[in-house]
Amino acid sequence: MDDGPDSMEQDDRSGIVKGEEASGTASRQPKRPPPETPENVWLRQRVVTSFWIVVILLGVPVWLWTTSIPRSGLPLEDMQAWADGRACKPAFPLRISIQAPDLQKAEAEHLTRLTQHALDDQNEFSAHHLRLKLRGGAHSSIHLNGSVSNEVSATDNNLDLFVDPTRTEDDALTVRLETDSTLTSTEAELQDHSRLLRILHPGHLVPSITSSTSSLSGYIAAKLQELFYEEQGMIEYILTSSHTLSGQSTHQSSSASRDSRPRSSRLIHPELAAKLASRMTRSVQYAPTYHLTFSLFTPAATPSNWEIESAIVENLSPLLDALSVVSNFTVDTQVQLHAKFAPSVHPPEFDETAGVWTLRDEDLSGFVNAAEWPLSPSIGEGSTLNFILYVPESQHTPLVVKSNHASNWLVPQWGGVSILNLADDDGTSRGKILSKAMIQPPLLIFSHQLLSLLGAPQTPQSLPLQLQTLTRTRAASLLLSASSTMGSLARLTVALPSIAIPETVSTAVESTLDHLRSTCSALKAGHFQQALNHARIAEAQAERGFFEKSMVGQVYFPDEHKVAVYLPLLGPIGVPLLMNALKEVRKAFAARRAKRRVG
Amino acid sequence: MAPDRGPPSSSHSNNTKNTYLVYAAAALLRLFLFGAFPGAGALLEGRVEVGSCVCGFKARTGKAKTTSTPQAPLLLALFSLIPTPHFHLITALLYITLDLLAAHALVRIAESHQAERTRLFKSPRTGEGWDSWIIPAAYLFNPFIIATCIGRPTSVFTSLAILWSVAHAVGDKPMSAMVGLGVATYLSMYPALLVGPMVLLGYDRQEEEKARIGASGKRGDEAEAAEGNEKEASSSIWLFAAKHTAVFTAGLAWLLYISYILTGGSWEFISSTYGVQLLVPDLTPNVGLWWYFFIEMFDSFREFFLGVFWLHLGGYVGGLCIRLRKQPLFVVVTMMGIFAIFKPYPTIGDTGLWLSMLPLYRHVFGLMRYTFFAVSALLYACLLGPAFYHLWVYAGSGNANFFYAITLVWSLGLVLILADSLFAVLRDEWEVERPEMRGKEIRQI
Repeated sequence: MDDGPDSMEQDDRSGIVKGEEASGTASRQPKRPPPETPENVWLRQRVVTSFWIVVILLGVPVWLWTTSIPRSGLPLEDMQAWADGRACKPAFPLRISIQAPDLQKAEAEHLTRLTQHALDDQNEFSAHHLRLKLRGGAHSSIHLNGSVSNEVSATDNNLDLFVDPTRTEDDALTVRLETDSTLTSTEAELQDHSRLLRILHPGHLVPSITSSTSSLSGYIAAKLQELFYEEQGMIEYILTSSHTLSGQSTHQSSSASRDSRPRSSRLIHPELAAKLASRMTRSVQYAPTYHLTFSLFTPAATPSNWEIESAIVENLSPLLDALSVVSNFTVDTQVQLHAKFAPSVHPPEFDETAGVWTLRDEDLSGFVNAAEWPLSPSIGEGSTLNFILYVPESQHTPLVVKSNHASNWLVPQWGGVSILNLADDDGTSRGKILSKAMIQPPLLIFSHQLLSLLGAPQTPQSLPLQLQTLTRTRAASLLLSASSTMGSLARLTVALPSIAIPETVSTAVESTLDHLRSTCSALKAGHFQQALNHARIAEAQAERGFFEKSMVGQVYFPDEHKVAVYLPLLGPIGVPLLMNALKEVRKAFAARRAKRRVG
Repeated sequence: MAPDRGPPSSSHSNNTKNTYLVYAAAALLRLFLFGAFPGAGALLEGRVEVGSCVCGFKARTGKAKTTSTPQAPLLLALFSLIPTPHFHLITALLYITLDLLAAHALVRIAESHQAERTRLFKSPRTGEGWDSWIIPAAYLFNPFIIATCIGRPTSVFTSLAILWSVAHAVGDKPMSAMVGLGVATYLSMYPALLVGPMVLLGYDRQEEEKARIGASGKRGDEAEAAEGNEKEASSSIWLFAAKHTAVFTAGLAWLLYISYILTGGSWEFISSTYGVQLLVPDLTPNVGLWWYFFIEMFDSFREFFLGVFWLHLGGYVGGLCIRLRKQPLFVVVTMMGIFAIFKPYPTIGDTGLWLSMLPLYRHVFGLMRYTFFAVSALLYACLLGPAFYHLWVYAGSGNANFFYAITLVWSLGLVLILADSLFAVLRDEWEVERPEMRGKEIRQI
C-alpha cells in the first residue's frame, strides 16, 4: 500500500498498451508501443529521485539518531574500586566521654590515658575501636588519639546533657566515675534507657600519676569491651562476609558471590560467629520503610475487638520514634475472627501434667495459615513485618508450645507470633474487647521481636546503645551493599556492550559514589547518624541506577531480532524503492551506451 | 454539459438555486438530528471512529482547564466563551455553520473547474464532471460528515481551514490561501505538508489569471498566450514559493504568539498540542494504523518507527508534486486521502472530507477499475468496525486484534480508492498524449 504512486506511475509510463484486438480481424501480431518521450523519462527519474532524497536526507539520519545506543560514561574504575573495597576501609571510631567530677584533672587524664592503653591492648579488630575523651571542668576537654571534637566545651559542665540522648549523638557512651567510699569493690551500672555508664568505685583505686597500671582502668576497659563486644562482632561479621550479604540481593551474579565466599573469620569467636550468622539470617533485609501489620486472630467469635490503637501509641510509638533514625515505619492493624489452622497442623494436644494445651514444635512453621489468613505479603514499597496475636478458643486455653511452654516465637524475616491466653473465668465472660492492659504484654514481646527482626544486638540492654549499634551496622551493610551494586553495574556495563546506559543511570551512579564517599568519611569521623543517612541515599540511588527500566529492555536483544523488527514494515516500502532505483540506473546506462554506439 | 467557457446563464442560476436548496436541506437535516436525538452527540463523540483523543469533544471541554489538553489554545478560548447553559444549542449551530461554510468552499473550488483544466493541462474529458451543486451535496449528505458534525470534534475546524485555503488558492488569492493553511497547521500540524502543493496551485492560478488578462487584452487565443507566458513566468516560481512560504510561516508564528500571550506567557502548549500529534503518546484505538503498531512495538525502537511513519506520511509530497505537476489540485486531494489513512489520529471526518473532494474528479470516475471492491471493503468495515469494537471493549469476547483487523480492511479500502483515483487521473493525462487510446484497455509490460 506504500507503493501507490510508484506503481501507478509504472502503470502508465512504462505501461505499454495492448490494443484491444478488435474482433479478431486485426493481425495477431502485437503492436509496438511508441517510444517514451524524453520528458516522461525525465519526469520518472525525478519522481524516483524525490523519494530517494527523502530516504537519504531524512530517513538515514533519523535511523542513525533514534537507534544509536546512548551510553553515557560511567566511572567504571571507581565503581569497581568500591566493590572491591579498595575505595574505602570503613572505620568505626566510637567516642566515649569520661566524666570524673570527683577527681583532679591530672588524675583523671592519667586514668583516661591508662584506660585507653588497656583498651588498645585488648582490641584485635582495628576497624572498630573505642576512643576515650575526658570531659571534666570547663577547660579540660582532652581528645585522645588525636580525634577532634567539635563539641562546645562550655556545655560540658551540665551533666544532665549526657543523659539526654539527642544532644551528644556522636558520643557512643558516657562513663561517669563516681567515688563512693562505702564500697569495697568497683561496680558498674548501665540503665536500660540511657547511654550513661556509672562506675562507682572506692576512691583509693584511682591510680597515682606516676603509676603505669591500675585496676580501675583495667576494670573500665574490660567493662567497655564487654559492652561493645557484640557490636564489634557484628560489624566484623558484616565486613568480612560482605559478599554473602550482597549475594542475597537477586541481581548479584551467582558466580561473583561464589568465588568470594566469606573468609572464615579469625577474629570473632566461633560461637559468637554462629550466633551472629543465625541472627543475620533471621533479620529482614534493610528497607527504608517497614510496614508493621498487627493482626488479631482467633478461631472463635470473640474477642472481636482490641484497643490496639491506644496500646500502640503507649507501648510501641516511643520505640518506633527512636527507630525512626534507622527506618520509617507504618502501622496497620486487623482483626480476623474464625481463623482456623491449616489442615496440616495438628490440633492442640492436652498435656495432663502441666494442665496446658500444647502445640507441637514442628507445627510452629505451619501455624500461620498463609493460605487463608489475610496477611498481605507487601504493601507498596518496603517490606512488611507481621505480628500476630493469637487468642485460642476457651476450651484450648491455655495454649503453649510443647517443648518449652513458651507462648510466643519469632518467624525469621517475616514477623512474630504471640499467643494470648485469656484468663478464663470458668468460660462465663470472655470479653468481646481486649483491653489495653491485656494486650500490653504481647505488644512488649512484639517490640522485642521487632528489634531482633531489624537486627539489633541482644547486649547491652540499654535501648539507646542498641539503636546506636543498629545505626552503625546498618550503615556498614548499606555501604557494602551499595558498593557491590556499583560493582555489578560496572561488570554488566563491560560485559554487555550493546545495552544502553541512559543519562539517568550515570547521574544515579554519580550520586551513589558521592554519597558513598560521604558515608565513608562520616564513618571515619564518627558521625554515624550522618553516615547512615548518606548510606541510605547511596543504596537507593544504586538500586535506581541498576534497575533502570530502559536499560534492561535491551539486555537480551540479539541482532537477529532486529531483522524481525525492521523487515515487516521497511521491506514493503524498501523493495519498490530499491527496484525502481535499480531499473532507472540500468536504463540510464543503457541509454548512454546506445547513444555512444550511435555516435 | 457545461461548455468550456463557463455555463450559460440559465444553467448557472439553476445551479445557484440548487446549491442553496442543498444548503437549506443539509441545515434542516442537521437541526433535526440535533433536536430529535439530543443524546446522539454524546454517543458519537465517545466513538473512537468520530472523536479521537486529540480532537474529541471531551478533549475540548472536559480537560479545558488543564494545560495537558492536546487542543490549540485559541480553540479552547473560543469554546470557553460559549455560555454553559446553552452550550449544546450554540455548538450545534456553530457546527452546522462550519459545515455549510466548508460546503461553500467546495462550491467555489468546483466552480473554478480546476479539476478539469489547469494552466498546463486540459482533460480530454472536460465537461463530463458534475454540476457544481452536486459537490456540496456530496459533502453535506456524506454520512461520515453528518456523524462528525453531530459528534462535534475539533477536526472540523481544520477541515474547514484547509478547504477555505484551497478555495482561496483556486480563486487566485494565494496570500489568503497561505494564511488559511497557517490556521489549519496551527490547529492540527499535519496540514503543513500541504504547503508545497498549495504553492504550486496558487502559482499556477496566478499565472493563468495573468495570461487570461493579457490574452483578453490582445484578444488572442487563451491557450497560446498561456503557453507563451509560461517561459517568462517560470523563472519566478522560486520567488513565489519563498514569498508564500514566508507568509505561511508568519501567519503560523502570529497564531502561536497569540496563544503564547493567551496561555499566560508559557510555551507549554506547544508540547501538549503538537507533542501529542508528533510523538503519539496516546495509543487509544482509532481508525488509523498507528495505535496498534506502537502498542506492540519494542520501546527502544519507538522513536525510530515514529520517524519512519512520519517520513512515510511526508515522503509522498515530493513525488506527487513532481508527477502531478500539471494538476496541483489533485495533489492536494490525494494528500488529503493519504492523511485520512496514514496520519496518527485519523477519524472518519478526515475520510469524509477526502471522499467529498473526490467528486470534483467525476470526469475520471469512468477510468477507475476497483470501485466495487473498494466500496464493498468500506461498507464491510463500516458495519463490522463498531461491532468488533463493542466485542473487544464492552463485551470482552474479542480482543484488540478484532478491531485492528477491521481498521486494516478500512484502510485497505481507502488505499484502493486512493490508488485507483490516482491511476484514473494519470490515465486521463496520458490520453492527452495518446488520444487514440481512449476507451481501450491498457496493460503494463
